Amino acid sequence: MDPTHVAVVPLLVPLFAAVATLLLRPYPTLQRGASAIGGVGYLVAVAALVRAVTADADGYLVYALAGWDAPVGIVLVADALSAFMLTIAAIVGVAALLYSLAYVDAEDQRLSYHSLFHFVLLGVTGAFLTGDLFNLFVWFEVMLMASYVLVVFYSGPEHTRAALHYTVLNLLGGALMLLSIGGLYATTGTLNMADMAHRLANAAEYGIDPAPVLGLSALLFAVFALKAGIVPFQFWVPDSYRAAPVPVTAVLAGVVKKVGIYAIIRVYFTVLSGAALDVSLPFVAGDSVLAYFGPVLLVMAAGSIILGGIGAVNQPDLDGLLAYSSIGQVGFIALSLAVAASAPFGSEVMLVGIAAALVYSLNHGLAKGALFLSVGVIRRGVGSVEFADLGGLSERDPVFAGGFFVGALALIGIPPLSGFFGKFLVFDTAVRAEAWLALGLALVGAVLTIAYFSRAWNRAFWGEPVAFDPQPRLTLVVVVLGVGLLLVGIGFQPIADAAQRASEAAVSRSDYIDAVLEVGR
Amino acid sequence: MSVSFVLAGVLGLLFALGTFLLLRRDVVRVVWGVTIIAQATNVYLVTMGGFAGSVPVLAGHGGHGGGHVAVQDPLVQALVLTAIVIGFGTTAFALVLTYRVYQEHGTIDLEGLAESSERPETGGER
Amino acid sequence: MTTDRQPTVIARTVTRVVVPFILLTALALLFQGHNLPGGGFIAGVLTCTAFALVYIIYGRESLRTLLGIAADGPGVLGGITGLYARLFAVGLLVAATGGVVSMALGYPFLTQAVLYLSDLPVVHALTAVPGVGTLELASAFVFDLGVYAVVVGGLLSVLSVVGRE
Repeated sequence: MDPTHVAVVPLLVPLFAAVATLLLRPYPTLQRGASAIGGVGYLVAVAALVRAVTADADGYLVYALAGWDAPVGIVLVADALSAFMLTIAAIVGVAALLYSLAYVDAEDQRLSYHSLFHFVLLGVTGAFLTGDLFNLFVWFEVMLMASYVLVVFYSGPEHTRAALHYTVLNLLGGALMLLSIGGLYATTGTLNMADMAHRLANAAEYGIDPAPVLGLSALLFAVFALKAGIVPFQFWVPDSYRAAPVPVTAVLAGVVKKVGIYAIIRVYFTVLSGAALDVSLPFVAGDSVLAYFGPVLLVMAAGSIILGGIGAVNQPDLDGLLAYSSIGQVGFIALSLAVAASAPFGSEVMLVGIAAALVYSLNHGLAKGALFLSVGVIRRGVGSVEFADLGGLSERDPVFAGGFFVGALALIGIPPLSGFFGKFLVFDTAVRAEAWLALGLALVGAVLTIAYFSRAWNRAFWGEPVAFDPQPRLTLVVVVLGVGLLLVGIGFQPIADAAQRASEAAVSRSDYIDAVLEVGR
Repeated sequence: MSVSFVLAGVLGLLFALGTFLLLRRDVVRVVWGVTIIAQATNVYLVTMGGFAGSVPVLAGHGGHGGGHVAVQDPLVQALVLTAIVIGFGTTAFALVLTYRVYQEHGTIDLEGLAESSERPETGGER
Repeated sequence: MTTDRQPTVIARTVTRVVVPFILLTALALLFQGHNLPGGGFIAGVLTCTAFALVYIIYGRESLRTLLGIAADGPGVLGGITGLYARLFAVGLLVAATGGVVSMALGYPFLTQAVLYLSDLPVVHALTAVPGVGTLELASAFVFDLGVYAVVVGGLLSVLSVVGRE
């Protein structure tokens, strides 16, 4: 087989795994086996792609689907940024999948769980790999449609209500995204991201008036922020995260949110940044879309950090606390992106800012994955996740408590865990940019993180021990993720290099354009 | 030019209607509102090709043997087809979900749903 | 359907006459889909309208007895719904496999090809028959067939599950 196919294999594996799990419904054991093989196969396929991208001289793998070259055809583009995000998706996704084999009821697994799970992975992978704006919409919808069903999976009263909010909001988001894509197409005459970047950078040559791009990109921005759950688009997060099965919540928080972050980085930093705009609004001045969205994103990040942090401190149950915490943590990612966007294009601050967002995403994906999966252990072991019913779990199961503790410490940012480097890079970005407001916000957020996790630890793991039924298989996954956090922290240098390559790929617009359009020339 | 004005007017009307329905308390009306907005988006997408774009994708490939024949932009048609298929699936799902909400809560009134969330519930097995 | 009002004779007769035409149109759309307006999705939707008509007019048991399938078992995917769900899965498999075959032949995923049967001497004689033009065999048809099965299977399982409520 042609080695260039490596770019499409991460899409095909979940697709065929989904088909196989649908066809194998009469044979539950085989079905679970196929799903697990699909999950591990996905991990292998992503690893192969990451290796190929790293080994490639230019760092770009462009795959023209059906042999139609860009800009007319639909292409998949794998670069260091996509590879980094796919790595997060693969690790968290596979851990959650293996966890759900032991967690979700056998009958529920048989009906639809596995195929839906693989469809979510398929949509996520497609969104990370596509080089076409409309296909980004299509992959979003693939991912969302499967996630709607997974949110309403238990279909009790609170699940249907949460899913209703989630569905209606995202349907509306989909319509807005389509509006914006249609407008961008009318403005630039192309949907291929590289071609669009090329045309916007040479607007006069193509007779394009870039002024509408600002408004259209604002619509798109709202949609991406909705996916990422940044304030003021966060209101669906807590209910949906409570409603979905625990492993799905781990994927929603760890991976699906990151798709919104990835889309912001890819579309704004790589594609739209070339459009020369004369922004003259109050407090905002600059000559590109980024200059406009930097302050907007800063305000949204501030809202997320504060609202998420205070909300998390107030929650009566562990899954609510973690849901609000992920609003706050996405605030950190948005914060570093905001500082990066306000910096001059291609400057050191911008590179460090994007790298900080990526490292923080990786850390949040792994740590939140581990924490949400421990919610499942507690729900199984104690029967409730209300703080009022919990206590003394560290005495009952020290190994499990250790896994949770590592996850919490990683989010707080204690060395040598990966979270330390994530937080450190965010602070570093703010200091380099001399953005003292952002630095202050990050400090407030860090204090709030410590506050709510010490509360969770005090209420659930210390105090009067409650009856606890150990869940060794589920605990194993939590502990593996915890060890992963530790390993990422100890051997941080390769991760830092990968994040740096990814952030360079995000801002090297002309390389991206050359790599994709070269196929067509 | 007059065609664009008519289309713009129709689009405005459709979006207004969709927004109006979206703000109702009845869940079924909300789903209708979303559907109408999705359909309005499709109409809007069609108008984004052809006459509205400054740079058609296949400039000059419209005619068969001499003479420049005006063609509709085929790309937007393909986009709309895809969007319709996706909208079709999501609308079906949203309606079934509404039915399920009614089964679980005995109401499709949004305020009724909010009230039922305030009552302490045992909750399903999760 | 437990309404006490039966559909009228007109409705029953019209259904009987119209359904074959709908199915025929659906097939025509399916076969021309690879290079003319039509295709798997629209053909599938059209097929489903025919089935929906039969469901509504003759009751939802009619189709099951017509196809000779056991009554709905327990669970969501018993009986005919299970059949529809399998059709959905098989369609997905066919469409996806159709894309992968091109990879095995060394082309990118989803690459399609057309074979003009009328170039073959045996078939070429047929093109002389009035009403028969060039005959072609497009690999895209396999994909369309998969989409058709997905749409029919998916819509009918929605119809039968919701109809059962």
